[in-house]
Amino acid sequence: MQAFGHIKRILVAGADAIIIYFDGANLDEANTACHQMLAAIDARRESIRHNAASEGLEHNVESAWGWLRECVPSYDSLLITFDMTLIDNHGVYRALKALSTERINTQPADNKPGFGNSVIEIPVWYGAPNASDLSVVSKKTSLSIEEIIELHTSTAYKVYAVGFSPGFAYLGDIPEALKCARLGTPRKRVPKGAVAIADRQTAVYPSESPGGWNLLGLTAFDMLLHTEQDSESRLKVGDVVKFVSVTEQEYKSALKVKL
Amino acid sequence: MKIQVLNKGLFSLIIDNGRVGRQRDGFCESGPMDSSAYDWANFLAFNLDGTPCIEAIGEMQLQVDEDCIIAVTGREPELSIDGRPISPYQSQKVPAGAIITFGCALLGGKAYLAICGNWQVPKAVGSACTVVREQLGGIDGKGSVLKDGDCIEVFANTRIKDSDKMRSLPTHLIDDYGFLEAIRVVPGYQFSCFSTVAVRTFETSTYTVSSAIDRMGFRFTGESVTADMENMRSEAIHLGAIQVPGDGQPIVMMRDRQTLGGYPKLGCVSPCDINRLAQAVPGEKVNFIFQNEEEARVDWLLMTSRRRRLQGEIL
Repeated sequence: MQAFGHIKRILVAGADAIIIYFDGANLDEANTACHQMLAAIDARRESIRHNAASEGLEHNVESAWGWLRECVPSYDSLLITFDMTLIDNHGVYRALKALSTERINTQPADNKPGFGNSVIEIPVWYGAPNASDLSVVSKKTSLSIEEIIELHTSTAYKVYAVGFSPGFAYLGDIPEALKCARLGTPRKRVPKGAVAIADRQTAVYPSESPGGWNLLGLTAFDMLLHTEQDSESRLKVGDVVKFVSVTEQEYKSALKVKL
Repeated sequence: MKIQVLNKGLFSLIIDNGRVGRQRDGFCESGPMDSSAYDWANFLAFNLDGTPCIEAIGEMQLQVDEDCIIAVTGREPELSIDGRPISPYQSQKVPAGAIITFGCALLGGKAYLAICGNWQVPKAVGSACTVVREQLGGIDGKGSVLKDGDCIEVFANTRIKDSDKMRSLPTHLIDDYGFLEAIRVVPGYQFSCFSTVAVRTFETSTYTVSSAIDRMGFRFTGESVTADMENMRSEAIHLGAIQVPGDGQPIVMMRDRQTLGGYPKLGCVSPCDINRLAQAVPGEKVNFIFQNEEEARVDWLLMTSRRRRLQGEIL
Protein backbone atom coordinates (compact mmCIF):
# COMPACT_ATOMS: atom_id res chain seq x y z
CA MET A 1 0.00 0.00 0.00
CA GLN A 2 1.42 3.34 -1.14
CA ALA A 3 2.05 5.85 1.63
CA PHE A 4 0.52 9.34 1.48
CA GLY A 5 0.61 12.55 3.52
CA HIS A 6 2.64 12.23 6.70
CA ILE A 7 2.61 8.46 6.47
CA LYS A 8 5.86 6.56 6.23
CA ARG A 9 4.54 3.03 5.81
CA ILE A 10 1.27 1.13 5.83
CA LEU A 11 1.55 -2.55 6.69
CA VAL A 12 -0.77 -5.46 7.13
CA ALA A 13 -1.03 -6.28 10.84
CA GLY A 14 -3.37 -9.24 10.54
CA ALA A 15 -6.27 -10.49 8.43
CA ASP A 16 -8.52 -7.75 9.83
CA ALA A 17 -6.05 -5.00 10.73
CA ILE A 18 -3.57 -2.59 9.20
CA ILE A 19 -0.98 -0.50 10.98
CA ILE A 20 0.06 2.95 9.81
CA TYR A 21 3.49 4.39 10.68
CA PHE A 22 3.90 8.17 10.59
CA ASP A 23 6.77 10.29 9.46
CA GLY A 24 8.25 13.50 10.78
CA ALA A 25 11.51 15.32 11.43
CA ASN A 26 11.35 13.97 14.98
CA LEU A 27 9.17 11.75 17.15
CA ASP A 28 7.07 14.71 18.23
CA GLU A 29 6.02 15.46 14.65
CA ALA A 30 5.27 11.83 13.84
CA ASN A 31 3.22 11.60 17.02
CA THR A 32 1.28 14.73 16.07
CA ALA A 33 0.61 13.37 12.56
CA CYS A 34 -0.67 10.15 14.10
CA HIS A 35 -3.11 11.98 16.33
CA GLN A 36 -4.28 14.27 13.58
CA MET A 37 -5.24 11.18 11.60
CA LEU A 38 -7.03 9.73 14.61
CA ALA A 39 -8.87 13.02 15.22
CA ALA A 40 -9.90 13.10 11.55
CA ILE A 41 -11.28 9.55 11.74
CA ASP A 42 -13.17 10.35 14.94
CA ALA A 43 -14.59 13.54 13.45
CA ARG A 44 -15.70 11.70 10.32
CA ARG A 45 -17.49 9.00 12.28
CA GLU A 46 -19.09 11.58 14.55
CA SER A 47 -20.41 13.64 11.63
CA ILE A 48 -21.80 10.56 9.91
CA ARG A 49 -23.51 9.48 13.10
CA HIS A 50 -24.86 12.98 13.59
CA ASN A 51 -26.14 13.33 10.02
CA ALA A 52 -27.70 9.89 10.00
CA ALA A 53 -29.49 10.69 13.25
CA SER A 54 -30.78 14.10 12.14
CA GLU A 55 -31.84 13.02 8.66
CA GLY A 56 -32.97 9.52 9.58
CA LEU A 57 -30.94 8.18 6.68
CA GLU A 58 -29.44 4.77 6.22
CA HIS A 59 -25.94 5.12 4.86
CA ASN A 60 -24.20 2.42 2.95
CA VAL A 61 -21.75 0.60 5.15
CA GLU A 62 -18.52 1.52 3.40
CA SER A 63 -19.02 5.27 3.30
CA ALA A 64 -20.49 5.23 6.82
CA TRP A 65 -17.35 3.63 8.21
CA GLY A 66 -19.50 0.96 9.87
CA TRP A 67 -16.65 -1.49 9.31
CA LEU A 68 -14.31 0.34 11.69
CA ARG A 69 -13.83 -1.56 14.93
CA GLU A 70 -10.93 0.00 16.74
CA CYS A 71 -8.21 2.64 16.31
CA VAL A 72 -5.29 2.27 18.69
CA PRO A 73 -2.62 4.99 18.53
CA SER A 74 0.87 4.78 19.98
CA TYR A 75 4.06 6.86 19.63
CA ASP A 76 4.26 6.96 15.83
CA SER A 77 1.78 4.32 14.76
CA LEU A 78 -1.96 3.77 14.47
CA LEU A 79 -3.54 0.32 14.38
CA ILE A 80 -6.87 0.13 12.56
CA THR A 81 -8.99 -2.98 12.91
CA PHE A 82 -12.03 -3.63 10.76
CA ASP A 83 -14.90 -6.03 10.24
CA MET A 84 -13.77 -8.38 7.46
CA THR A 85 -17.31 -9.27 6.48
CA LEU A 86 -17.93 -5.64 5.49
CA ILE A 87 -14.66 -4.53 3.90
CA ASP A 88 -11.15 -5.65 2.96
CA ASN A 89 -7.92 -3.79 3.66
CA HIS A 90 -7.96 -2.08 0.23
CA GLY A 91 -11.30 -0.57 1.10
CA VAL A 92 -9.93 0.66 4.41
CA TYR A 93 -6.95 2.13 2.58
CA ARG A 94 -9.22 3.95 0.10
CA ALA A 95 -11.32 5.41 2.92
CA LEU A 96 -8.25 6.68 4.79
CA LYS A 97 -6.72 8.16 1.67
CA ALA A 98 -9.94 9.94 0.76
CA LEU A 99 -10.18 11.31 4.27
CA SER A 100 -6.62 12.58 4.13
CA THR A 101 -7.16 14.29 0.77
CA GLU A 102 -10.33 16.00 1.99
CA ARG A 103 -8.57 17.26 5.06
CA ILE A 104 -5.71 18.76 3.11
CA ASN A 105 -8.24 20.66 1.02
CA THR A 106 -10.43 21.85 3.84
CA GLN A 107 -8.31 22.16 6.99
CA PRO A 108 -5.80 24.88 7.77
CA ALA A 109 -2.35 23.36 8.03
CA ASP A 110 -1.64 24.64 11.53
CA ASN A 111 -4.61 22.89 13.09
CA LYS A 112 -2.94 20.76 15.73
CA PRO A 113 -5.39 18.98 17.99
CA GLY A 114 -4.42 18.74 21.60
CA PHE A 115 -1.94 21.59 21.54
CA GLY A 116 -4.38 24.33 22.38
CA ASN A 117 -4.85 22.58 25.72
CA SER A 118 -3.57 24.19 28.85
CA VAL A 119 -0.89 22.48 30.89
CA ILE A 120 -2.21 19.86 33.32
CA GLU A 121 -0.42 19.97 36.67
CA ILE A 122 0.18 16.78 38.61
CA PRO A 123 1.15 17.32 42.27
CA VAL A 124 3.79 14.90 43.50
CA TRP A 125 5.01 14.09 46.99
CA TYR A 126 8.60 13.26 46.01
CA GLY A 127 10.33 10.67 48.14
CA ALA A 128 7.17 9.13 49.62
CA PRO A 129 8.55 6.18 51.66
CA ASN A 130 6.68 3.38 49.86
CA ALA A 131 7.37 4.78 46.39
CA SER A 132 10.89 6.07 46.30
CA ASP A 133 13.91 4.98 44.35
CA LEU A 134 15.36 8.47 44.67
CA SER A 135 18.61 7.13 46.12
CA VAL A 136 18.89 4.57 43.31
CA VAL A 137 18.19 7.24 40.69
CA SER A 138 20.69 9.49 42.40
CA LYS A 139 23.36 6.81 42.03
CA LYS A 140 22.44 6.04 38.41
CA THR A 141 22.42 9.69 37.35
CA SER A 142 25.01 11.16 39.75
CA LEU A 143 22.51 13.88 40.60
CA SER A 144 21.47 14.94 44.09
CA ILE A 145 17.88 14.26 45.15
CA GLU A 146 17.12 17.99 44.96
CA GLU A 147 18.51 18.12 41.42
CA ILE A 148 16.39 15.14 40.40
CA ILE A 149 13.20 16.79 41.67
CA GLU A 150 14.23 20.09 40.12
CA LEU A 151 14.83 18.47 36.73
CA HIS A 152 11.67 16.35 36.82
CA THR A 153 9.47 19.37 37.62
CA SER A 154 11.26 21.72 35.23
CA THR A 155 9.95 20.24 32.00
CA ALA A 156 6.54 20.21 30.34
CA TYR A 157 5.87 16.70 29.04
CA LYS A 158 3.75 15.57 26.16
CA VAL A 159 1.43 12.56 26.36
CA TYR A 160 2.75 10.38 23.53
CA ALA A 161 0.59 7.33 24.11
CA VAL A 162 -1.94 5.87 26.51
CA GLY A 163 -1.87 2.14 26.98
CA PHE A 164 -0.35 -0.92 28.54
CA SER A 165 -2.94 -0.66 31.30
CA PRO A 166 -6.01 1.58 31.69
CA GLY A 167 -5.01 5.23 32.03
CA PHE A 168 -1.26 4.58 31.82
CA ALA A 169 0.11 7.61 29.94
CA TYR A 170 3.59 7.58 28.45
CA LEU A 171 5.02 11.07 28.97
CA GLY A 172 8.19 12.38 27.43
CA ASP A 173 10.87 13.29 27.08
CA ILE A 174 12.54 13.71 30.45
CA PRO A 175 15.81 15.69 30.52
CA GLU A 176 18.78 13.70 29.19
CA ALA A 177 20.53 14.01 32.57
CA LEU A 178 17.64 12.17 34.28
CA LYS A 179 17.69 9.28 31.83
CA CYS A 180 18.01 6.02 33.75
CA ALA A 181 17.53 2.33 33.03
CA ARG A 182 14.70 0.23 34.40
CA LEU A 183 15.18 -1.65 37.67
CA GLY A 184 17.11 -4.90 37.34
CA THR A 185 14.30 -6.79 39.05
CA PRO A 186 10.81 -5.37 38.55
CA ARG A 187 8.77 -4.70 41.68
CA LYS A 188 5.88 -7.09 42.26
CA ARG A 189 3.81 -4.23 43.59
CA VAL A 190 3.96 -0.59 42.63
CA PRO A 191 1.42 1.48 44.58
CA LYS A 192 -1.37 3.38 42.85
CA GLY A 193 -0.30 6.93 42.04
CA ALA A 194 3.43 6.17 41.92
CA VAL A 195 5.31 8.61 39.70
CA ALA A 196 8.09 6.88 37.82
CA ILE A 197 10.82 7.28 35.21
CA ALA A 198 12.51 4.87 32.78
CA ASP A 199 14.79 5.72 29.85
CA ARG A 200 13.55 9.11 28.58
CA GLN A 201 9.97 8.50 29.74
CA THR A 202 7.94 9.30 32.81
CA ALA A 203 4.51 8.07 33.92
CA VAL A 204 2.07 7.69 36.79
CA TYR A 205 0.88 4.18 37.72
CA PRO A 206 -2.96 4.47 37.53
CA SER A 207 -3.52 1.47 39.79
CA GLU A 208 -1.49 -0.93 41.88
CA SER A 209 0.46 -3.21 39.55
CA PRO A 210 3.83 -4.82 39.00
CA GLY A 211 6.39 -2.55 37.37
CA GLY A 212 10.06 -2.03 36.62
CA TRP A 213 10.31 1.75 36.46
CA ASN A 214 12.22 3.89 38.98
CA LEU A 215 9.82 5.49 41.44
CA LEU A 216 10.16 9.14 42.45
CA GLY A 217 7.10 9.69 44.62
CA LEU A 218 3.32 9.59 44.89
CA THR A 219 0.47 11.64 43.52
CA ALA A 220 -3.17 11.86 44.59
CA PHE A 221 -4.05 12.77 40.98
CA ASP A 222 -6.41 10.10 39.60
CA MET A 223 -5.36 8.85 36.16
CA LEU A 224 -8.82 7.41 35.52
CA LEU A 225 -12.07 9.34 35.61
CA HIS A 226 -14.82 7.15 36.97
CA THR A 227 -18.52 7.47 36.45
CA GLU A 228 -21.19 4.97 37.39
CA GLN A 229 -20.70 2.64 34.46
CA ASP A 230 -17.65 3.99 32.75
CA SER A 231 -14.08 5.00 33.30
CA GLU A 232 -11.83 6.89 30.98
CA SER A 233 -8.26 7.97 30.87
CA ARG A 234 -7.81 11.43 32.36
CA LEU A 235 -4.84 12.19 30.15
CA LYS A 236 -5.31 12.06 26.40
CA VAL A 237 -2.65 11.88 23.78
CA GLY A 238 -1.35 15.33 22.93
CA ASP A 239 -2.05 16.72 26.41
CA VAL A 240 0.78 18.63 28.08
CA VAL A 241 1.67 17.75 31.65
CA LYS A 242 3.87 19.30 34.35
CA PHE A 243 4.76 17.81 37.70
CA VAL A 244 4.69 20.03 40.78
CA SER A 245 6.38 19.17 44.07
CA VAL A 246 4.07 19.10 47.12
CA THR A 247 4.54 18.19 50.78
CA GLU A 248 3.40 14.99 52.46
CA GLN A 249 0.61 16.94 54.13
CA GLU A 250 -0.66 18.39 50.84
CA TYR A 251 -0.61 14.91 49.30
CA LYS A 252 -2.58 13.44 52.19
CA SER A 253 -5.18 16.20 52.25
CA ALA A 254 -5.66 15.82 48.49
CA LEU A 255 -6.31 12.10 49.04
CA LYS A 256 -8.85 12.94 51.76
CA VAL A 257 -10.76 15.34 49.54
CA LYS A 258 -11.41 12.46 47.15
CA LEU A 259 -12.65 10.14 49.90
CA MET B 1 -34.23 -16.43 38.83
CA LYS B 2 -31.13 -16.99 40.91
CA ILE B 3 -28.18 -19.08 39.84
CA GLN B 4 -26.00 -20.13 42.73
CA VAL B 5 -22.40 -21.23 42.34
CA LEU B 6 -21.95 -24.46 44.34
CA ASN B 7 -18.46 -25.22 43.03
CA LYS B 8 -16.52 -22.63 41.08
CA GLY B 9 -14.22 -25.14 39.36
CA LEU B 10 -10.65 -24.00 38.71
CA PHE B 11 -11.21 -20.59 37.16
CA SER B 12 -14.61 -19.29 36.14
CA LEU B 13 -15.48 -15.88 34.81
CA ILE B 14 -18.51 -13.96 33.65
CA ILE B 15 -17.68 -12.86 30.13
CA ASP B 16 -19.35 -11.17 27.18
CA ASN B 17 -18.14 -9.74 23.86
CA GLY B 18 -15.66 -7.48 25.63
CA ARG B 19 -14.73 -3.83 25.35
CA VAL B 20 -14.72 -2.40 21.86
CA GLY B 21 -13.20 0.98 21.06
CA ARG B 22 -11.53 1.51 24.43
CA GLN B 23 -8.05 0.19 23.78
CA ARG B 24 -6.92 3.76 23.13
CA ASP B 25 -7.51 4.45 26.85
CA GLY B 26 -5.52 1.37 27.78
CA PHE B 27 -8.45 -0.97 28.49
CA CYS B 28 -7.80 -4.42 27.09
CA GLU B 29 -10.16 -5.89 24.51
CA SER B 30 -11.24 -8.83 26.75
CA GLY B 31 -14.13 -11.03 25.61
CA PRO B 32 -14.46 -14.80 25.21
CA MET B 33 -11.26 -16.77 24.63
CA ASP B 34 -13.22 -19.04 22.27
CA SER B 35 -15.71 -16.67 20.67
CA SER B 36 -17.13 -19.37 18.41
CA ALA B 37 -18.16 -21.57 21.37
CA TYR B 38 -19.47 -18.48 23.15
CA ASP B 39 -21.64 -17.48 20.16
CA TRP B 40 -23.01 -21.00 19.82
CA ALA B 41 -23.84 -21.15 23.53
CA ASN B 42 -25.93 -17.99 23.34
CA PHE B 43 -27.59 -19.07 20.10
CA LEU B 44 -28.55 -22.47 21.52
CA ALA B 45 -29.82 -20.86 24.74
CA PHE B 46 -32.10 -18.46 22.78
CA ASN B 47 -30.03 -15.44 23.82
CA LEU B 48 -29.05 -12.46 21.71
CA ASP B 49 -25.41 -12.28 20.60
CA GLY B 50 -23.32 -10.62 23.28
CA THR B 51 -25.36 -11.85 26.27
CA PRO B 52 -23.08 -12.69 29.22
CA CYS B 53 -22.00 -16.31 29.69
CA ILE B 54 -19.78 -18.21 32.08
CA GLU B 55 -16.34 -19.25 30.80
CA ALA B 56 -15.10 -22.08 32.99
CA ILE B 57 -11.86 -23.99 33.34
CA GLY B 58 -12.28 -27.17 35.38
CA GLU B 59 -15.61 -28.60 36.49
CA MET B 60 -18.16 -26.10 37.70
CA GLN B 61 -21.40 -26.74 39.58
CA LEU B 62 -24.41 -24.43 39.83
CA GLN B 63 -27.98 -24.62 41.05
CA VAL B 64 -30.96 -22.80 39.54
CA ASP B 65 -34.08 -21.86 41.49
CA GLU B 66 -36.48 -21.69 38.52
CA ASP B 67 -37.11 -23.64 35.33
CA CYS B 68 -34.78 -22.39 32.63
CA ILE B 69 -33.05 -23.19 29.36
CA ILE B 70 -29.28 -23.52 29.17
CA ALA B 71 -26.63 -24.55 26.64
CA VAL B 72 -23.06 -25.74 27.15
CA THR B 73 -20.37 -25.52 24.45
CA GLY B 74 -16.58 -25.51 24.16
CA ARG B 75 -13.84 -28.01 23.42
CA GLU B 76 -15.06 -31.50 24.39
CA PRO B 77 -17.53 -30.08 26.91
CA GLU B 78 -19.31 -32.28 29.43
CA LEU B 79 -22.67 -31.57 31.03
CA SER B 80 -24.80 -33.32 33.57
CA ILE B 81 -28.01 -32.30 35.29
CA ASP B 82 -28.59 -33.81 38.74
CA GLY B 83 -25.86 -36.29 37.91
CA ARG B 84 -27.44 -37.43 34.63
CA PRO B 85 -25.13 -36.92 31.61
CA ILE B 86 -26.64 -34.72 28.89
CA SER B 87 -25.34 -33.91 25.41
CA PRO B 88 -23.79 -30.45 25.09
CA TYR B 89 -24.35 -28.19 22.05
CA GLN B 90 -28.14 -28.13 22.43
CA SER B 91 -30.88 -26.17 24.18
CA GLN B 92 -31.45 -27.92 27.47
CA LYS B 93 -34.42 -27.41 29.77
CA VAL B 94 -33.44 -27.46 33.43
CA PRO B 95 -36.08 -27.79 36.18
CA ALA B 96 -36.10 -25.56 39.26
CA GLY B 97 -33.72 -26.80 41.96
CA ALA B 98 -31.63 -28.90 39.58
CA ILE B 99 -27.86 -28.97 39.85
CA ILE B 100 -25.92 -28.25 36.66
CA THR B 101 -22.41 -29.68 36.42
CA PHE B 102 -20.33 -28.76 33.39
CA GLY B 103 -16.74 -28.43 32.27
CA CYS B 104 -14.16 -29.38 29.68
CA ALA B 105 -12.69 -32.87 29.68
CA LEU B 106 -9.20 -31.48 29.01
CA LEU B 107 -7.41 -29.72 31.83
CA GLY B 108 -7.12 -26.10 30.76
CA GLY B 109 -9.80 -26.23 28.08
CA LYS B 110 -12.70 -23.81 28.35
CA ALA B 111 -16.40 -24.63 28.53
CA TYR B 112 -19.16 -22.05 28.11
CA LEU B 113 -22.50 -22.02 29.92
CA ALA B 114 -25.26 -19.81 28.52
CA ILE B 115 -28.48 -19.34 30.47
CA CYS B 116 -31.53 -18.04 28.64
CA GLY B 117 -32.63 -14.64 29.91
CA ASN B 118 -31.54 -11.19 30.88
CA TRP B 119 -28.39 -11.23 33.02
CA GLN B 120 -28.40 -8.75 35.89
CA VAL B 121 -24.68 -8.07 36.01
CA PRO B 122 -23.12 -4.60 36.09
CA LYS B 123 -21.36 -3.18 33.07
CA ALA B 124 -17.98 -1.58 33.55
CA VAL B 125 -16.54 0.43 30.64
CA GLY B 126 -19.30 -0.86 28.38
CA SER B 127 -18.99 -4.56 29.14
CA ALA B 128 -19.67 -7.16 31.82
CA CYS B 129 -16.52 -9.08 30.89
CA THR B 130 -14.28 -9.86 33.88
CA VAL B 131 -10.69 -8.60 33.72
CA VAL B 132 -9.07 -9.42 37.04
CA ARG B 133 -5.96 -7.35 36.32
CA GLU B 134 -7.97 -4.22 35.55
CA GLN B 135 -10.50 -4.82 38.34
CA LEU B 136 -13.32 -4.52 35.85
CA GLY B 137 -16.47 -6.50 35.08
CA GLY B 138 -17.78 -9.70 36.59
CA ILE B 139 -20.41 -10.21 39.23
CA ASP B 140 -19.51 -7.05 41.19
CA GLY B 141 -18.17 -4.96 38.31
CA LYS B 142 -14.79 -4.96 40.06
CA GLY B 143 -13.16 -7.84 38.25
CA SER B 144 -13.88 -10.63 40.75
CA VAL B 145 -13.71 -14.21 39.51
CA LEU B 146 -16.69 -16.41 40.42
CA LYS B 147 -16.42 -18.11 43.81
CA ASP B 148 -18.44 -20.68 45.72
CA GLY B 149 -21.66 -19.17 47.04
CA ASP B 150 -21.91 -16.39 44.43
CA CYS B 151 -25.42 -15.74 43.19
CA ILE B 152 -26.11 -14.49 39.67
CA GLU B 153 -29.52 -13.04 38.91
CA VAL B 154 -30.99 -13.72 35.48
CA PHE B 155 -34.48 -12.49 34.57
CA ALA B 156 -36.31 -15.21 32.68
CA ASN B 157 -37.10 -14.59 29.04
CA THR B 158 -40.89 -14.80 28.93
CA ARG B 159 -41.07 -14.93 25.14
CA ILE B 160 -39.81 -18.52 25.02
CA LYS B 161 -42.81 -20.84 24.96
CA ASP B 162 -42.95 -24.56 25.72
CA SER B 163 -43.91 -25.17 22.12
CA ASP B 164 -40.75 -23.50 20.79
CA LYS B 165 -38.44 -25.85 18.97
CA MET B 166 -35.33 -26.67 20.99
CA ARG B 167 -32.08 -26.06 19.12
CA SER B 168 -29.25 -28.49 18.65
CA LEU B 169 -26.02 -28.59 16.65
CA PRO B 170 -25.32 -32.12 15.33
CA THR B 171 -22.04 -33.54 16.63
CA HIS B 172 -20.39 -33.80 13.21
CA LEU B 173 -20.97 -30.08 12.61
CA ILE B 174 -19.34 -28.88 15.83
CA ASP B 175 -16.11 -26.88 15.30
CA ASP B 176 -13.01 -28.97 14.96
CA TYR B 177 -10.61 -28.51 17.84
CA GLY B 178 -7.19 -30.13 18.03
CA PHE B 179 -4.08 -29.49 15.97
CA LEU B 180 -3.85 -32.01 13.16
CA GLU B 181 -4.27 -28.98 10.92
CA ALA B 182 -1.72 -26.18 11.23
CA ILE B 183 -2.70 -22.82 12.71
CA ARG B 184 -2.94 -20.21 9.95
CA VAL B 185 -0.91 -17.03 10.45
CA VAL B 186 -1.16 -13.83 8.41
CA PRO B 187 2.31 -12.25 7.99
CA GLY B 188 2.30 -8.70 9.27
CA TYR B 189 3.85 -6.03 11.47
CA GLN B 190 7.65 -6.61 11.57
CA PHE B 191 7.48 -9.76 9.38
CA SER B 192 10.05 -8.31 6.96
CA CYS B 193 12.57 -7.93 9.82
CA PHE B 194 12.74 -11.70 10.20
CA SER B 195 15.23 -13.52 7.99
CA THR B 196 14.05 -16.13 5.48
CA VAL B 197 15.70 -18.72 7.69
CA ALA B 198 13.78 -17.53 10.75
CA VAL B 199 10.48 -17.57 8.84
CA ARG B 200 11.17 -21.07 7.46
CA THR B 201 12.15 -22.28 10.92
CA PHE B 202 8.91 -20.96 12.38
CA GLU B 203 6.83 -22.59 9.65
CA THR B 204 8.52 -25.98 9.64
CA SER B 205 9.00 -26.54 13.39
CA THR B 206 6.54 -27.96 15.84
CA TYR B 207 5.87 -25.83 18.91
CA THR B 208 4.70 -27.06 22.27
CA VAL B 209 2.06 -25.22 24.28
CA SER B 210 3.81 -24.30 27.54
CA SER B 211 2.14 -24.06 30.92
CA ALA B 212 2.41 -20.25 30.70
CA ILE B 213 -0.96 -19.79 29.05
CA ASP B 214 -3.56 -17.37 30.28
CA ARG B 215 -6.07 -14.86 28.99
CA MET B 216 -3.24 -12.40 28.18
CA GLY B 217 -1.13 -14.70 26.03
CA PHE B 218 0.02 -18.22 25.20
CA ARG B 219 3.72 -18.97 25.38
CA PHE B 220 5.12 -21.68 23.13
CA THR B 221 8.41 -23.55 23.36
CA GLY B 222 10.37 -24.85 20.39
CA GLU B 223 12.90 -23.72 17.81
CA SER B 224 14.06 -20.20 18.54
CA VAL B 225 13.09 -17.46 16.07
CA THR B 226 14.60 -14.00 16.30
CA ALA B 227 14.11 -10.75 14.42
CA ASP B 228 16.98 -8.81 12.89
CA MET B 229 16.17 -5.58 14.66
CA GLU B 230 17.46 -3.91 17.77
CA ASN B 231 14.62 -2.06 19.34
CA MET B 232 11.32 -0.62 18.31
CA ARG B 233 8.77 1.74 19.75
CA SER B 234 5.77 0.31 21.53
CA GLU B 235 2.77 -0.10 19.26
CA ALA B 236 -0.75 -1.52 19.40
CA ILE B 237 -1.01 -5.30 19.65
CA HIS B 238 -3.83 -6.97 17.75
CA LEU B 239 -5.60 -10.18 18.80
CA GLY B 240 -3.50 -13.22 17.85
CA ALA B 241 -0.30 -11.22 17.31
CA ILE B 242 2.78 -13.45 17.51
CA GLN B 243 5.39 -11.65 19.59
CA VAL B 244 8.93 -12.85 19.68
CA PRO B 245 10.91 -11.56 22.66
CA GLY B 246 14.70 -11.84 22.94
CA ASP B 247 14.66 -15.53 23.86
CA GLY B 248 13.07 -16.37 20.48
CA GLN B 249 10.13 -18.29 21.98
CA PRO B 250 6.87 -17.08 20.40
CA ILE B 251 3.97 -15.71 22.43
CA VAL B 252 0.50 -15.48 20.89
CA MET B 253 -1.34 -12.50 22.35
CA MET B 254 -4.86 -13.27 23.51
CA ARG B 255 -8.02 -11.42 24.62
CA ASP B 256 -6.69 -9.79 27.80
CA ARG B 257 -3.35 -8.71 26.27
CA GLN B 258 -1.96 -5.32 27.20
CA THR B 259 -2.84 -2.76 24.53
CA LEU B 260 0.73 -1.69 23.64
CA GLY B 261 3.97 -3.60 23.44
CA GLY B 262 7.47 -3.30 22.04
CA TYR B 263 8.48 -6.79 20.92
CA PRO B 264 8.80 -7.62 17.20
CA LYS B 265 5.83 -9.51 15.75
CA LEU B 266 5.65 -12.02 12.90
CA GLY B 267 2.00 -11.29 12.17
CA CYS B 268 -1.30 -12.46 13.60
CA VAL B 269 -3.02 -15.82 13.90
CA SER B 270 -5.96 -15.85 11.48
CA PRO B 271 -9.30 -15.03 13.13
CA CYS B 272 -10.47 -18.41 11.75
CA ASP B 273 -7.99 -20.24 13.99
CA ILE B 274 -7.67 -18.06 17.09
CA ASN B 275 -10.52 -19.86 18.90
CA ARG B 276 -9.00 -23.26 18.21
CA LEU B 277 -5.64 -22.04 19.50
CA ALA B 278 -7.27 -20.49 22.60
CA GLN B 279 -8.50 -23.99 23.48
CA ALA B 280 -5.00 -25.50 23.36
CA VAL B 281 -3.82 -27.08 26.61
CA PRO B 282 -0.26 -27.40 27.96
CA GLY B 283 1.83 -30.06 26.22
CA GLU B 284 -0.10 -30.00 22.94
CA LYS B 285 1.94 -29.69 19.72
CA VAL B 286 1.08 -26.98 17.23
CA ASN B 287 2.31 -26.17 13.72
CA PHE B 288 1.97 -22.77 12.12
CA ILE B 289 1.52 -21.99 8.44
CA PHE B 290 1.59 -18.60 6.71
CA GLN B 291 -1.30 -17.46 4.56
CA ASN B 292 -1.78 -13.99 3.11
CA GLU B 293 -4.54 -11.68 4.30
CA GLU B 294 -6.65 -12.18 1.16
CA GLU B 295 -6.80 -15.94 1.69
CA ALA B 296 -7.49 -15.44 5.38
CA ARG B 297 -10.41 -13.19 4.52
CA VAL B 298 -11.85 -15.71 2.07
CA ASP B 299 -11.61 -18.43 4.73
CA TRP B 300 -13.30 -16.12 7.20
CA LEU B 301 -16.17 -15.29 4.84
CA LEU B 302 -16.70 -19.00 4.13
CA MET B 303 -16.59 -19.81 7.83
CA THR B 304 -19.07 -17.11 8.83
CA SER B 305 -21.48 -17.94 6.01
CA ARG B 306 -21.32 -21.61 7.00
CA ARG B 307 -22.21 -20.70 10.57
CA ARG B 308 -25.08 -18.48 9.45
CA ARG B 309 -26.41 -21.24 7.21
CA LEU B 310 -26.19 -23.79 10.05
CA GLN B 311 -28.01 -21.48 12.41
CA GLY B 312 -30.67 -20.90 9.76
CA GLU B 313 -31.20 -24.64 9.38
CA ILE B 314 -31.42 -25.17 13.14
CA LEU B 315 -34.02 -22.43 13.67
